[in-house]
Amino acid sequence: MTEVVRLNAVSKVYGKGHGAVAALREVSVGIPAGTFTAIMGPSGSGKSTFLHCAAGLDLPTSGSVRLGGTELAGMNETQLTELRRKRVGFVFQAFNLVGSLTVTENITLPLTLAGVRPDPAWLAEIVRRVGLDGRAGHRPAQLSGGQQQRVAIARALVTRPEVVFGDEPTGALDTMTARDVLVLLREVVSGLGQTVVMVTHDPVAASYADTVLFLADGRIVDSMSAPAADKVAERMTRLGAWT
Amino acid sequence: MISFAWRTIGHRRAGFAGAFVALLCAAALVTACGMLLETGLRGAVAPERYAGAPVVLAGDQYARHTKANGKTKAKLLAERRWIPERIAAEVRRAPGVTKVVTEVTFPFAGFTAHGWESAALTPFTLASGRPPRAAGEVVVDARHRTAKIPGYRVVGVTAQALPSQDTIFFSTDEARRLAGRDGLVTAIGVFPRVDVKVDGALAYTGDARGTVEFLDAENARVKLISLGGALGGTSLLVAILVVAGTFALSIQQRRRELAMLRAVAATPRQIRKLIGGEALTISVVAGTIGAGGGILLGLWLRERFVALGAVPENLALVVSPFPALAALLATLAAAWTAARVSARRVARIRPVEALSEAALAAAGLPRARTVAGVLVLAGAVALTILLANLSVEAASSPVSMLTALVWTVAVVLLGPAIARAVTALPLRVPGAGGYLAHRNLRAGTGRLAAVIGPLTLMTAMTSTILFSPATLGHAAQQELNAGITADHVLDPGASAEAVRQAPGVRAATEVLRTTARIELEKYGVQAVTPDGLDRTMDLGVTAGSLDGFGGTSAAVSRTAADRLGVGVGDRLALTLGDGTPATVTIAAVYARGLGFADLTLPHELVADHVDDPRATVLVSGGERAALERALPGVTVRDRAEAAEAGTSNAAVTYVAMGLIIGFCAIAVVNTLAMSTSARSRELALLRMVGTTRRQILGMLRTETAVAAALAVTLGTGISLLTLAAFGAGMTGSATPYPQPLGYLGVVAATVALALAATAVPARFALRARPAEALAARE
Repeated sequence: MTEVVRLNAVSKVYGKGHGAVAALREVSVGIPAGTFTAIMGPSGSGKSTFLHCAAGLDLPTSGSVRLGGTELAGMNETQLTELRRKRVGFVFQAFNLVGSLTVTENITLPLTLAGVRPDPAWLAEIVRRVGLDGRAGHRPAQLSGGQQQRVAIARALVTRPEVVFGDEPTGALDTMTARDVLVLLREVVSGLGQTVVMVTHDPVAASYADTVLFLADGRIVDSMSAPAADKVAERMTRLGAWT
Repeated sequence: MISFAWRTIGHRRAGFAGAFVALLCAAALVTACGMLLETGLRGAVAPERYAGAPVVLAGDQYARHTKANGKTKAKLLAERRWIPERIAAEVRRAPGVTKVVTEVTFPFAGFTAHGWESAALTPFTLASGRPPRAAGEVVVDARHRTAKIPGYRVVGVTAQALPSQDTIFFSTDEARRLAGRDGLVTAIGVFPRVDVKVDGALAYTGDARGTVEFLDAENARVKLISLGGALGGTSLLVAILVVAGTFALSIQQRRRELAMLRAVAATPRQIRKLIGGEALTISVVAGTIGAGGGILLGLWLRERFVALGAVPENLALVVSPFPALAALLATLAAAWTAARVSARRVARIRPVEALSEAALAAAGLPRARTVAGVLVLAGAVALTILLANLSVEAASSPVSMLTALVWTVAVVLLGPAIARAVTALPLRVPGAGGYLAHRNLRAGTGRLAAVIGPLTLMTAMTSTILFSPATLGHAAQQELNAGITADHVLDPGASAEAVRQAPGVRAATEVLRTTARIELEKYGVQAVTPDGLDRTMDLGVTAGSLDGFGGTSAAVSRTAADRLGVGVGDRLALTLGDGTPATVTIAAVYARGLGFADLTLPHELVADHVDDPRATVLVSGGERAALERALPGVTVRDRAEAAEAGTSNAAVTYVAMGLIIGFCAIAVVNTLAMSTSARSRELALLRMVGTTRRQILGMLRTETAVAAALAVTLGTGISLLTLAAFGAGMTGSATPYPQPLGYLGVVAATVALALAATAVPARFALRARPAEALAARE
């Protein structure tokens, strides 16, 4: 199986001298194409930093990150942006959308910024898949939180990226809405063959993934395939006990 | 990007309203100043009295001076240059000339007086009666058919009257006698229109004839150029400062959205383009509306200046599209500059910020800003030193505005550092509101820094504008108080002979005020009759003596002597007000140049070279009642009243600069309103956790009060420094004079404005139910 994302001995240190904090320590991992991976760990375990480095939002202090075969080291901010634009989709916890743009405009925003015309058939397909039919002309303020996250997912998919990253995409939603969004993400992986990497602290959310990677103290300490929520929760409790 | 920018603006109207208003005001101010400037450059007055003469020969109204490098500079003369009458005979012989008309002009009892010889220039014709022939006969214009002229008999009335002057005609000989300039005339009319070239006079045709007819219009034009330029320049600088401030604030407030855009797909360049697009879009709209309003503002300004007597009624405003276009371009440039400056900050927004939970405050003061701040600070110090060495008001006034501005820019650039330093002070305000305010100020130094910018600008500019004439006036006032030793002062028009005859009068000094140029540099002149001078004025002589003053002797103030590098016994070549050269010998140097004048010349030397030879008379001894009886119709003042009236008229500056103060006030309201309304979520949260409305308003009040106190301190410091430097240059004393009541007014107005601009949007924000306000996304 090909790997979409490959991290080799990636370390990230914030600050300098005595105040330096290592958020990631020599992390090496590959994310296979067409899989749904959840990253879990207690607060301060480095899971956000992992996501930032893997997605090209931030450059590691040392080590190598390859995204779809491209080495990120040595790229400048504009090159990174162009890479993200083409190959990566993002779903954040909140503040995902531009308030002045309609649903369709928000979805096609990465294409607009790249100066590429959207493919109407593909656009219609993802709008249908995320369940936003009939809402194309709405403004974000007219949508519920769950609907806004669906717009964000559609936007992440519109460029046919190699990987979609989610940073607590259900963190700001209630249980029922969160479930819908997770089902959608699962469906994106299974139905479209999309690769999804999601940081979460919620064992139920993690249970929708194919694989769960557990981070603690800047290292990957464990992984779990075909996770069940109660198993993940138990593992997390033990992680918490260690730290 | 532009369409995206347009959408963003439409969506975030409130955030852009501040920048919009600032740009609109800037465009209006620049348009109005541009109109004044253009009128100064191209304005013309149509001839009235010379309307009937195709060619008018008159003196060159400019003093010209060729420098060593071959460049010739010309400066407008203060008094009319008369021309020799023999030119008329010369012109009469020129080919094609059929008629030549000579004219003398002089003021007489409120009228502009001439000899009947020049009636054909307009032409004036008689409606009734006959021309004046004998010395005691006059003809008046149609508006004054019933007027009585004391000492003269009205023998005729003309059919015409000129719109902006009251005309009276004497017989030709009597007019020559009254004008008192042997062999000289004011103008020569030539018929028909032919090319005439003569030595000693220039030929004026068309509207140029108006400039020799109305010398005051020519003076006003020159004044409008400098005023329009200084005012326009200052308002443009203030505009860039204000607009940059509002832009920076609005960008700070949408940091999160911009970070999200960066994360999703936008390069730093695209973000800069977006910000630039937004700036250009609003500046086009604001600039267009503002420029339109500016035309009205320009018309209003001219009306004020006419009412204040600074601009003659008949100098019409030049209305053309140029000032409006220039203002639009200037507004675009200002907005673009402001956006570029703000966009530097945007480029530093890291995309990761969109993912983090907390809205991150900007990290420490960026190095570029600190470096810029220190450089501007150095510039401000240099300007202050320069200002302290300027002793000409025409240069000193604009430089003092610029100095205050540059100091303010330094404060704005270093604002975050200042805010951090001040909030680190262990000061406490009682109450829950005070506690919260203290914490907020310490955490949000960026916000505090953004707010103190316009508040400092307002205090510094207002104090500098209001108190630089006061500083000058106060110093002149003190010199006059000490220097006028006469008991009474008579307004111009009194006959000195009659005064000397009045009972009890020990001495009477005639004082004539005019100007002279030394190598084109303008100096104020008082021409005095030397008899009994020591009894009427004390100039504070520091070297030499005024004994035996007269003939071609002169006295100069210490400031002027220093500038010219001359001392007692030196000879000084000068150009009198009407362009006549004269050489004088310096007899004395005196201290009180500011209250009196830089040059003191003998009355006899100057009297024939001014348009209006009526002198103020200083009288020592005698009773006020006796003087009033002896001189009917003449205003008699005592020493104190006279000194009071002697202070310069700063009203014109106040009107013009008042607009800049208003602009600063708008900036204050803008910034505070933006800063407060952006906090509605935070305020809602505070209410959710149990803070009362009272406590929240108290908290905001305290925060604003701290910001205002800090800004007033900084602004006062800036204006004191500027005024001290201004005073040192102009008066030789570095003591600024902020009128106590005026200063209190400035402080009170600034603080009240700041509090109101906080309270009103805060009340709006508090009107929404807290849960709703919290639910609403940014």
